Amino acid sequence: MKRVLITDDATFMRLSLKSMLEKCGFEIVGEAENGKVAIEKYKKLRPDIVTLDITMPVMDGLEALKGIKEFDKNAKIIMISAMGQETIVRQAIILGAIGFVIKPFNQQTITKAFSKL
Amino acid sequence: MAEILDETMETSEDTQKGKFLTFSVGKESYGIEIKFVTEIIGIQDITQVPELPDYVMGIINLRGKIIPVIDVRIRFKKEAKDYNDRTCIVVIDIKSASVGLIVDNVAEVINIDDSNIVPPPSMKMGFHNRYVRGIGKVGNEVKLLLDCDKLLNDDELDKIIDIA
Amino acid sequence: MSDDGIIREPMLEIYLFEATQLTEQLEEISIECEKNKKIDTESINEIFRIMHTIKSSSAMMSFNNISVLAHSLEDLFYFIRENGSVNINFEKLFDLVLLGIDFIKDEVFKIENDNEADGSSESLVLKSSNLLQYMKQDNVNDSKSILLEVEDNINDHISSFIDCSDSIKQKYVAKIFYEDGCEMENVRAYTVVHNLKEITTEIYHVPSDIIESNDSVDVIRANGFLIGFATTATKQEIEKRFNEIIFLRELELQQVEEYPQELKDINVKKEISPEDPIIIMNPQEVEVIKEEPLNVNKSAKQQSIISVNISKLDMLLDLVGEIVISEAMVTKNPDLVGLQLDNFKKAARQLRKLTNELQDVVMSIRMMPVSMTFHKMNRIVRDMSKKLNKEVELEIIGEETEVDKNIIDHISDPLMHLVRNSLDHGIEEKQERKAAGKCETGKITLEAKNAGGDVFIIISDDGRGLDRKKIYEKAKLQGLVTRPEDELTDKEIFSYILLPGFSTNESVTEFSGRGVGMDVVKKNIDSIGGAISIESVMGKGSSISIKIPLTLAIIDGLEVAVGVSKYTIPIMSIRESFKPKINEVIEDSDGNEMIMIRGEAYPIYRLHQIFSINTKVINSADGIMVMVEDNVKSACLFVDSLIGEQQVVVKALPKYIKKAKGIAGCTILGDGNISLIIDVTGILDR
Repeated sequence: MKRVLITDDATFMRLSLKSMLEKCGFEIVGEAENGKVAIEKYKKLRPDIVTLDITMPVMDGLEALKGIKEFDKNAKIIMISAMGQETIVRQAIILGAIGFVIKPFNQQTITKAFSKL
Repeated sequence: MAEILDETMETSEDTQKGKFLTFSVGKESYGIEIKFVTEIIGIQDITQVPELPDYVMGIINLRGKIIPVIDVRIRFKKEAKDYNDRTCIVVIDIKSASVGLIVDNVAEVINIDDSNIVPPPSMKMGFHNRYVRGIGKVGNEVKLLLDCDKLLNDDELDKIIDIA
Repeated sequence: MSDDGIIREPMLEIYLFEATQLTEQLEEISIECEKNKKIDTESINEIFRIMHTIKSSSAMMSFNNISVLAHSLEDLFYFIRENGSVNINFEKLFDLVLLGIDFIKDEVFKIENDNEADGSSESLVLKSSNLLQYMKQDNVNDSKSILLEVEDNINDHISSFIDCSDSIKQKYVAKIFYEDGCEMENVRAYTVVHNLKEITTEIYHVPSDIIESNDSVDVIRANGFLIGFATTATKQEIEKRFNEIIFLRELELQQVEEYPQELKDINVKKEISPEDPIIIMNPQEVEVIKEEPLNVNKSAKQQSIISVNISKLDMLLDLVGEIVISEAMVTKNPDLVGLQLDNFKKAARQLRKLTNELQDVVMSIRMMPVSMTFHKMNRIVRDMSKKLNKEVELEIIGEETEVDKNIIDHISDPLMHLVRNSLDHGIEEKQERKAAGKCETGKITLEAKNAGGDVFIIISDDGRGLDRKKIYEKAKLQGLVTRPEDELTDKEIFSYILLPGFSTNESVTEFSGRGVGMDVVKKNIDSIGGAISIESVMGKGSSISIKIPLTLAIIDGLEVAVGVSKYTIPIMSIRESFKPKINEVIEDSDGNEMIMIRGEAYPIYRLHQIFSINTKVINSADGIMVMVEDNVKSACLFVDSLIGEQQVVVKALPKYIKKAKGIAGCTILGDGNISLIIDVTGILDR
């Protein structure tokens, strides 16, 4: 089972994503409430996939992306973005995110997005 | 008695339909659907609580849980009788509230098919008529099947139950 | 948490919890910013983040009215964030934000009560976008241009075309269709191109502009994304790459000799190595007001906290209570009477020590500071003082004082009512205050403090105070008076206003009605075992103090016997106990018994009479008097005998049983018997 680290400052969003991913057969090995924690947990847990919300306190998704990629250039990272954050998403792609999902999402969306991973 | 109860408790929900616990109060024999019954215990010390209706005898300590007990005789406006060692408390659980019913003695658990149950006669047979939801025929005998809901939650009761 | 034990879907539960937390945070920040007439960077970011989160979560739960409102407010603060030197009309802005908060609170309330969240946020959304428009226009001349900056270090990550002049390159054409509803297809297409670069020497694609143009999204949705590229990689490798694309619905891939015409027609050949410069909005470069971060109470975020479902805590507390009872049933078991049990007793003491500690820890888990509740009052003071055109300042003391969560839930409403009362009837208008030589700004103080086993919450104001005579007259009119005015203390007279149906207010105001709420306040406080007392000096102000037990769950009690029944009287209500002398008991003209102690007369309440218990102990000299008091009155309870002091776990009487006035609950004693717990205030009110 592929191991996933979920990052979002909102408990609700983390829980939603967690339950949807678990239904797809992923194992959620950790949750992070901001980018800094995400990097720390990545180093400790070495998950197969990381999801990063963009707007977060302390350290945002883009910075976290940089940090994780610096540590492990093969890290598989999916950005969770809202509409209207196009520029940031492009930046994320350049920095090495393998894809993105737009909020709000539902089970179907998540299943389709993560089916290839 | 405990064994009979255990046996019936183990069967699934479905097969509990039509199973009744029968007990007697005075000359009449009554039945309650087994699905409401959680246990049967012998009569024990009852702690009185002030300002209760006459048929609510008080509260008992059932392994740490506080349960009110009703004397069915008094509820049905019969003469009160002293408790003896055959007197039992039938603990029923309705809408997550537990209540103990004090009865003269407990008989057995029997199956009564729906076909053997007829609605109660419309004429008033006595005060307890309103709590009887049907009459069950078992061989030559007749069991008055009680509506637990009504037994506990009568209009009369609602007026005096304080919303805590 | 719904009351009937109906378990809501956990996602909804979390959504509601978070929504409530976030709106409360937002409210605090807003009021603070509005008061100081400035918003610092941190606050803007926080407000923006809160709106952003509420927008997303609400959309996921299909509460679109909330989501749309949050979105429009998010846009507003996005603008403010990006345009630091913007002119802000603080009042207008935060009036709007607070209205938005109210709307969300209302909808959340509806949802919590299993109703439809059917409110319309349209008018607020309109207001918000109008304000944004206005702010944009207002700043068209002033705003600095947003600095564009190319991130230099991006170059490290830029993929460039591979250099493989020697190896054989094959041409391929691929057409990609994305899943419906995945959004931002142009960026997804961009992703594909970006990732292909490292295995290709050239790429052409249609639509060609996937960076600037928004129309490309529609084109890709309708016709798919067409790519032509040359590579040395095998078809297998290429297929593998393409199949990893997220949200890929359909892929057509074929090797070709020549690119199809549409690809050839593209003029712009993308063969440049460096990536196209990305325009980044770097908010830090924009001039923003650099202020000291606001000192808003953010303790919840900074501490290490987990949120636990309250029902789990209730279960834990119940279990601990059961353990305390069981422990008593073991160590005080009648079987053990008369046995020599030294080692057993030693072990039992250790067990007792541990259960006590366990109890303390579990109770402390349920304890929460009153700060949240106190801070809610800020909003009320703000709104009301505006409406009533009074200047009022709210002072909060001792907000870190902790109280059981259950109690917090019950004091919120009474507190609100009392604060409203102070604002409405207590604090005078500016001129009146000036004429009285007081400072124009009125002051309301909310204080919480610990004293022994109780918590005191005191609401005081420096307003006009209570009129003793007026209150007495009104009470007399209502037939509530039993003794002449000069025999009553101030406290006793003021407590008349807590009686139902009492009011001295001349006019009904929008906020506190005819003071009809005071008896409801008392009821609420009574229900948690608390007591209210009122003090006041005319012209100077009033002070209402609420005494609340630290916890409802476990109390120190004195066991007494009345007939065969056992009762528990809470120790904190007991002043003393003694055996009365027959000539100390006297009767007044109405036949009410009283006893004289050190020159004062105390009414006697015979428990066996009140509760209709059979007992042989009727004669005063044969029984025991226990002097009890609540915040206001004192009296003596007559019982058969004292059994002993003991710590008891308070258990509620089963709901089915009507609660007699004077019974607070019950407890299970060590010997398995049940003892009823006396509610002193209830008895004294009879």
